[in-house]
Amino acid sequence: MSDCQGLGDCDDARMERIYEYLDGALTRDDVAEIKNHLDDCSECLEQYDLECVIRNMVKRSCTESAPENLKNSILDRIHGIRPVDA
Amino acid sequence: MSLVKDDINLLSPAQEWEAGAAAYPGKRKVTVDLTAMSTLDPAVAAMYEAVGNDATPAALAAAGEEAGQPAPEPEVDVESESAEERRLRFERDAMQYVDQLYSAAMRMARNPADAEDLVQEAYTKAFSAFHQYKPGTNLKAWLYRILTNTYINLYRKRQREPLQSNTDTIEDWQLARAGSHTSTGLRSAEVEALDHLPDSDVKRALQAIPEEFRLAVYFADVEGFAYKEISDIMNTPIGTVMSRLHRGRKMLRDMLADYAAERGFKAAGESTPAPGSDTQENRI
Repeated sequence: MSDCQGLGDCDDARMERIYEYLDGALTRDDVAEIKNHLDDCSECLEQYDLECVIRNMVKRSCTESAPENLKNSILDRIHGIRPVDA
Repeated sequence: MSLVKDDINLLSPAQEWEAGAAAYPGKRKVTVDLTAMSTLDPAVAAMYEAVGNDATPAALAAAGEEAGQPAPEPEVDVESESAEERRLRFERDAMQYVDQLYSAAMRMARNPADAEDLVQEAYTKAFSAFHQYKPGTNLKAWLYRILTNTYINLYRKRQREPLQSNTDTIEDWQLARAGSHTSTGLRSAEVEALDHLPDSDVKRALQAIPEEFRLAVYFADVEGFAYKEISDIMNTPIGTVMSRLHRGRKMLRDMLADYAAERGFKAAGESTPAPGSDTQENRI
């Protein structure tokens, strides 16, 4: 449970701030404010770290290569289509 | 500045995605910085934000490149280009995203064969509509939008499945799960544990969360799309995107914590204090 209220008055509010921070969706002032807070607060930093780890896991796990033939099948298909003129 | 044009009208809006989507009860005004869309480093994001309205086209192009987006191709005269020229341009600019679209399609379809069909269908549609794409705007987001619409309009209907999610049901389920985790919270040792989970667990967890949450998380975390871009791709308001992300990430986190516990990773770390937490021990 959240003891620190530096990023919001409940767990949900805190996570929302952390998400926005990681998503690059904040103003420069907000970014600086959160960065300062994370430097000082291990409780929030822990949540932030966990979120970073999960993101990296998702990214790592979901990077797949298309089967060899897919690109050729697509090219074959679009060669048979006459594009619509603008 | 919108990097994704709203005039892709070959595909009808998928209204079922809106069903049950709760309005986002945000209190703050959120500035979405599109020039920083693909970076995960908030410091870089802030730098672009600082550039603000004074950004020159060159600076924006550089920002795009740094963020993993190829610089937009200048000087394409869509009006006068021949069919052959357009096909070559499509092959040069759009075909580079096949792997990425396939990865996304794997999160939509249930198996590799269906994912392939989906990507092929999306590319065919994209090619047929390529004259509507405005050069210099975000091609990858445009392709993702077509992929998503193809999935919703065509593919999912073929699966003959009822819509996976019902917001009320999710809420109950989520509350129940949240209750079981907030008592202890996730400890830093668990960060360690999560990191040891195999890729198959992560995919399984993603697959287990309802698709509109799953795709929002995928678009943000894997592709690094900005809220506005996800809102264009999924054809939903930005507030809905944000609430889907919030809830989707929470579900994912809870599920991964469960998997880690199942695999016995949790017990090992439970008594170990979090590194760097000693200075905070007495702080209330």
